[in-house]
Amino acid sequence: MSDSGRPVLAHEVTLLELVDRVLNKGVVLTGDITLSVADVDLVYVGLRVLLASVATLEEQRQLAAGEAL
Amino acid sequence: MAAAPLSESDAGSYLYGIVARDRAAPDAAGVDPRHAVVAVAEGPVAGLVSRVSLTEFDEAALPQRLADAAWLEQKIRAHEQVLDAALESGAVVPCRFCTVYRDEHDVRRFLAERADVLAAALARLDGCVELGVKAFAASTPGNAEATRAESGRAYLEARREEKQAREDLARSRAELVRDLHERLLAAAKDGVLLDLQSREASGRDSEMVFNASYLVDVTSRFEAELTAAAGDYDGVQLEVTGPWPPYNFVPEELGRP
Repeated sequence: MSDSGRPVLAHEVTLLELVDRVLNKGVVLTGDITLSVADVDLVYVGLRVLLASVATLEEQRQLAAGEAL
Repeated sequence: MAAAPLSESDAGSYLYGIVARDRAAPDAAGVDPRHAVVAVAEGPVAGLVSRVSLTEFDEAALPQRLADAAWLEQKIRAHEQVLDAALESGAVVPCRFCTVYRDEHDVRRFLAERADVLAAALARLDGCVELGVKAFAASTPGNAEATRAESGRAYLEARREEKQAREDLARSRAELVRDLHERLLAAAKDGVLLDLQSREASGRDSEMVFNASYLVDVTSRFEAELTAAAGDYDGVQLEVTGPWPPYNFVPEELGRP
């Protein structure tokens, strides 16, 4: 059987997965809340920064892994 | 009541999600660790709420906060932990990150106004979780023949074959998406195809060819179907994430407009 024979259950949820759901999905309220729908772009500002930090973290992790070898 | 003394600026109410009225608040730290998560009951439902500083979460302060990656990650994880803990003991309708009311009365008013749709959503989500399913394909190297071809005719022929190969690949990927989604949907209560994530975003060498999320009854044959499906697509690796609070399955009228 090949590598693709079994689905991998990703136990550690990546930050990207989390951001994708938590910032973009779920109940989106309008009206009395402080972050109104008009400010949805703010979420993308945050998302971009977050993705940048994920990339940085990944680089650090790879560097650390390289040193450990 | 929260342990910390309340100041004017702590008047914000952060709403994580909605559960059935009889549910206790989950034992998890909120986005502001000084304040516990409480269940604010209203009619048949309850909002999971914790107090937050409006200095930290107000509209004026948020752009700056959202640009702070460390702050954002910490708060996003706290948001998710509260909902994960709630999900362990029953259905929850998750709210998007940073749903902050200026005052608890506004939370109660929302719960009262939308009681019917929230109660119906909780009934539908009962016993279900969201599972993310992705498929990755090893990247296919381009046809090197074209660059190696010596005669003009061989070059054109190689280009034509390359184009044909690209079209075949696109067709077989579209087929995979259709086929995999159809069979998983048949084993789930609901499902939705999501945008594919780029290699940069996913941080992987292989290419994402499928991204979807399913609302799954925890007693269903979904995982068995997934295991069966995993062996049926050559060169494709399936990956499952979750269980998630059902972010992708909130009632349409409460979702993103």
